[in-house]
Amino acid sequence: MEARRAGYASDSRAGVSARLSSWRHRHRHWLGWLFISPWLIGFFWFDVLGLLLNLYLGFTGFTVGAKMPPWIGLANYREVFAGDHLIGKSFVNTIYYMGFSVPLMMITAFSLALILNAEIGGRGIFRTIYYLPSLVPVVASSIIWLLMLRTQGGMINQVLALVGIKAIPWLGRPEWAKPALILMSLWGFGGQMVIYLAGLQGIPRELYEAAEIDGASGWHKLARVTLPLMTPILFFNLIMGIIGSFQVFTSAFIMTDGGPLKATLFYMLHLYNNAFKYFKMGYASAMAVLLFLAILALTLAVNRSSGRWVYYAGA
Amino acid sequence: MSAKLSRRKFLRVAAVGAAALLAASCQPKVVEVEKVVTKEVEKVVKETVIIAAEPAPKEPVTIQWMNWWGAAREPLMLEIIARFEEEFPHITVENQVQPWDNREQLAATAIASQAPPSLIMVSRVEAQMFAHEGLIVPIDDYIQAKGIDVYDVFYEGDINNCRWADHFWSYPLPSGGVDSSFWLYNKNLLRKSGLDPEAPPKTWQEVEEAIDATTVIKDGVLEVMGLEGVTGRFHSWLYCNDGKYYSDDSKQLLFNQPEGVETLEWMLKLISEKMGGIETYNAFGEGVTTMDADYAFYTDKLCFGPYNVSIFGHFKNIAPERFEDTDAWGTMLVPYNGNNSKAKPAGLSGFAFSWNQVIPKGLSKEVQDAAYEWLEYFGMRRAGGCWFLFEQARPSPVKACNENPEYYDANPYWEVVLQALAIDISVPVTPVQGQIADLVSEALEEVWFEVKTPKDALDWAYDQTQPILDKFWAEG
Repeated sequence: MEARRAGYASDSRAGVSARLSSWRHRHRHWLGWLFISPWLIGFFWFDVLGLLLNLYLGFTGFTVGAKMPPWIGLANYREVFAGDHLIGKSFVNTIYYMGFSVPLMMITAFSLALILNAEIGGRGIFRTIYYLPSLVPVVASSIIWLLMLRTQGGMINQVLALVGIKAIPWLGRPEWAKPALILMSLWGFGGQMVIYLAGLQGIPRELYEAAEIDGASGWHKLARVTLPLMTPILFFNLIMGIIGSFQVFTSAFIMTDGGPLKATLFYMLHLYNNAFKYFKMGYASAMAVLLFLAILALTLAVNRSSGRWVYYAGA
Repeated sequence: MSAKLSRRKFLRVAAVGAAALLAASCQPKVVEVEKVVTKEVEKVVKETVIIAAEPAPKEPVTIQWMNWWGAAREPLMLEIIARFEEEFPHITVENQVQPWDNREQLAATAIASQAPPSLIMVSRVEAQMFAHEGLIVPIDDYIQAKGIDVYDVFYEGDINNCRWADHFWSYPLPSGGVDSSFWLYNKNLLRKSGLDPEAPPKTWQEVEEAIDATTVIKDGVLEVMGLEGVTGRFHSWLYCNDGKYYSDDSKQLLFNQPEGVETLEWMLKLISEKMGGIETYNAFGEGVTTMDADYAFYTDKLCFGPYNVSIFGHFKNIAPERFEDTDAWGTMLVPYNGNNSKAKPAGLSGFAFSWNQVIPKGLSKEVQDAAYEWLEYFGMRRAGGCWFLFEQARPSPVKACNENPEYYDANPYWEVVLQALAIDISVPVTPVQGQIADLVSEALEEVWFEVKTPKDALDWAYDQTQPILDKFWAEG
């Protein structure tokens, strides 16, 4: 009797243990999901839901307010492609801006990171000084640049005058306004520079020593060691730069309002005007969907090309 | 009534009376209480009336006042709120000053949210759009209940800035005066050029002569500017040439009529022939505003400046000594086209931009009433909006407030300002004015850069904008 009782108890314990083990096995991922749930909830609520709502609103005549907007099918998209005389201009302006600001920013940030990675005195101070501008809010830096870019008495033209260059109407002529904003965008290179610095410090010293033993010059070390090993970081900054430049807005909004002659009417500024100045929220939603698709397409294209030029150790 | 009161009847009356007393203590409206008991016993009614006549304490209400009156104006606002709360102890006003960046976005999202503030400061066209979408409440019932004759209280141009679709949505504050009918002019520069500083130009033709005499261009740089504010003010100039931007019923755009073309041709002439072309013109005083000490008008580098009503406050604060020197500057009525017999001085109290403070829909009755009380206090009362504007050296949209003798002491040209406010008009714009204005600006910019002729540019703008207006009216 005792033995049978002990046997039952033992069986029962084993059963519970087995069930627990099975439960744990079946639900082994749950703890992970639990930990990432705050992010997931935020992602679905603010991003996925927002994206879906935006997609829906693009097919409506939504203006502003809580009323159920009327369904107008593809009318907004037809207007984008056939009715809006500024959409093409705003897109070309954005591509122009991206085409110059992204590479220039990468070159500037990478060059300065290389300099600041060298063994020079006061390196920490220089790093701080170069990083500081990127902490200044774009609104504040736009106002500073507005003064610096003045045709008469602006700091940049005063410097150019020292080398005999005539005053440039930076924000007064359509052909100069975009270059002026591109120049200004370089002001925020500090963020990229810090990422490059981190990457540079991760390159093993032995590789440089080996290259030196093989007689490599400074240029060779840069071209054959540093650049290949930095390609994942260059790739990351390229993607982020493309996304950021497609969304350029604040500087044009504050400094030029899209002028002169719509030379700085970027896509995002045009979208903002439609949404909040003209209350064409449905149309702006359709524009946002197209912007999303353009960024996605370009990101995928760059991503696809990365197999040919990005070096991943061990891959 | 001589019949005896039985015990049962007495108890019934007492119960009804008690219930009535209880109801009266909760309900400030006495009339309904009377209905309950009048037929029962006269005596009870009288007692009830006496109790209910005592002012019942009102439930405390808090309203959120979303506005953009920051910086130096915030302490003034807090002072008015304190005064208001003293007079209306049951209402608490939360002053929610917002950052100026992305103002349009903040206003639109606030009004469209499920929990909007009780009162929001928005531009005129935004107010029209929110009204059109049914997001705000008109204040006509309050105006009627209080017996306010708005056209008697406010300048016509100012109050019309708050009107849309035959309803009033706000009281004006500050006075619109977006491009008011006055200019400031520099007496020193006129004197130096051999012109009479006490006889400022009255017509466009006289202005041209004064610009010729005062403008100085050296090596392609404009050193002294004759007239500022040409490029952004086509709509104002148009009215000084007896033109119109909109028809009176707001259904037709008229800016490309002969008066408009003539106006634009004259403006182009000023920029390209008198002031060195658009690049030279734009480069002058770039990045400097009326709130900077080196602003051209304060330093004898600018002869004429069309301004809005905020100029006096800026001038007084930034260059106080200059402001006091009435030998150095003066105020004149806006000049008109002397070649057009119908033209006369005309400024705009409101175009697309003049402030409205609107009450969103969906608030409880108590909050809505409290928001209105604040709107009225801030918009009309001497201790409210009038004081707020006086402290900023700005005129008030309330006619009576501007009769304050202290204004005459504070501003040597107060008479001219009052004349200007009286003739300022409100252009009957529509909720789609944002789109229309941007398209017209685009056309005008092509004129300044001489890409298009004035006529071609205005015709192009008309072709682009009239369909937008037609669509708006067609969709209702």
